[in-house]
Amino acid sequence: MDMSFFESKMGRGLLFGGLTICLLLTPTFVTDIYILSIFNLMIIYAILCMGLNLILGFTGLLSLGHAAFYGIGAYTTAILMTRFGFGFVAAFCASAVLAMIAGIIIALPTRKVRGDYFCLITLAFGEIFRLVATSWIEFTRGAMGIVGIPIPKIFGLQIVTETHFYYLGLGILTFTYLTLRAITKTRYGRAFIAIREDELAADTMGINTSIYKIMAFSIGCLYAGMAGSFLAVYQTAVTPSNFRLEESCLMIIMVIVGGMGRNLFAPLAGVAVMTVATEVFRSTAEYRMLIIGLIMILVLLIRPQGIFGSSSFKN
Amino acid sequence: MLGEVILVGVMVGAVYALVTVGYSMVFGILKLMNFAHGDTYIFGTLICLTLLAKYNIHPVLAILIAAIAGGGLAFLVELLVYRRLRAPQHRLISMITALGAAYVVQNISELQWGNQVMSFPSIVESKFVTLLGLQVSVTHIITLFVAVLCIAVLILFMRYSRYGKAIDCVSQDMDAASLMGIPINRVVSSVYFMGGVLGVVGGVLYSSAYNAVSLGMGFRGTLIAFTAAVIGGIGSLGGALLGGMILGLSENLIGVYVSSSYRDPLLYSLLIIMLLVKPTGILGNSDQTKV
Repeated sequence: MDMSFFESKMGRGLLFGGLTICLLLTPTFVTDIYILSIFNLMIIYAILCMGLNLILGFTGLLSLGHAAFYGIGAYTTAILMTRFGFGFVAAFCASAVLAMIAGIIIALPTRKVRGDYFCLITLAFGEIFRLVATSWIEFTRGAMGIVGIPIPKIFGLQIVTETHFYYLGLGILTFTYLTLRAITKTRYGRAFIAIREDELAADTMGINTSIYKIMAFSIGCLYAGMAGSFLAVYQTAVTPSNFRLEESCLMIIMVIVGGMGRNLFAPLAGVAVMTVATEVFRSTAEYRMLIIGLIMILVLLIRPQGIFGSSSFKN
Repeated sequence: MLGEVILVGVMVGAVYALVTVGYSMVFGILKLMNFAHGDTYIFGTLICLTLLAKYNIHPVLAILIAAIAGGGLAFLVELLVYRRLRAPQHRLISMITALGAAYVVQNISELQWGNQVMSFPSIVESKFVTLLGLQVSVTHIITLFVAVLCIAVLILFMRYSRYGKAIDCVSQDMDAASLMGIPINRVVSSVYFMGGVLGVVGGVLYSSAYNAVSLGMGFRGTLIAFTAAVIGGIGSLGGALLGGMILGLSENLIGVYVSSSYRDPLLYSLLIIMLLVKPTGILGNSDQTKV
């Protein structure tokens, strides 16, 4: 297929416009609540994976604890809305900021430790978050989770149906895309890529690698916090089992299958493939981890750059 | 009370050391975080459980068969999943595939045995004796003895056998070792096999000391092995022993005197703190980036 049309300015504009219209009109065509709920799930993962792509694809940091930041966002919204009477907008902002602060703290060690050790830190943090969320019963209600999160209201509009949540999610996703595009087009984005390609060289060229790594990581976590906040009001309940290591792995696979790197939309392909696959294989839930594991191995052995990846990872 | 807690801590520490040694050796050679380590040794431990409970095989024989099965699985994982990604630039990729391998192994065990906590038969009769004024379980003493014996044999093997020296060479410089005629693939495979065998022995000892085994212990075991290896100094044999001991002791002290539900979060915090303060561990060599 001739790709040059899609690479020209007009082609891209047409493609983009068409896509936007399709996305906006989806609820008019899709009336089945179940299908729409899958779309909403995809939106949540899309926000998460776009953020993770900044960490993994752009900067080359492997985070095995992304689900924990997602969880921080979800629990912040759940606790603020059920116990402190916060409105959704305030809770949403608080969730994003708190997840980002947690991200900054966890990313601080990148100043000192190598990439694979950093990965261990994120892994340990993810497990600590899940275990504390399960054990701290007074605060998080333990394994039962927090239920009865109120209906979110945005400027007087009540968000109740799947369609409402679809548009809310689409709004957050658009915000994610636009801010990420703005970030990655500046010298920050180029610095992130430079760190991924060769950290030592980037350092020698005068890029303050530790600050940029912390920046990339915490910005990625900010989006995870937003996704978590959306999940909390969408599900009206959060439990620790939403934020297991399995979830972090699923996000990593989505990013890898879609393709890590410069293309901001690439992870969305992975999100779509994996979400649909999960739904299709729902009846064979006992093979779920086997399938996830095999996909992880096979994709990386056969095509490490993913479906739409710009460059192979760390090569 | 404190005496008993410390003694149990030493016993658990010795078992952890056994599990950690296998993992740390692998890291020393390939610089690869083997996420499948815990799930591999739980697979072997569950095989041992089946042999003991279903077929009433003599414990020593059962452990032997299970250890070989666990070692074989570790060997297979290395051959199929890690070998093609051995080059250093693939390090992060191989970590993700390692995680994938862990999931596959875990799911296979789950299909066979389920994810419930199962009771594990005591290999020896559980009796209590009084030793130096402490009430001590015979199982714990035998566990400690077997773990120490395995470690001693391993140390002698590493120091005095040709194979041990070859492993040391490969971990120092793989390319140079290869040029000197050391068969890299065979050495790496055998290290994985040994790691699996030692892990299964540790897993069986731990399970029989606590009379319980569950699939969840696999991933916890992986994290425990990481933590112990990092504390002691990753890649070093002595470091693995020291780290395992520290972890076993602190696990029991925290569990008894602080809180049992926050035991694991505190242990994992130890990993983060250690990586922050001294990433090379207590006995590890400082690692420098080569330009």
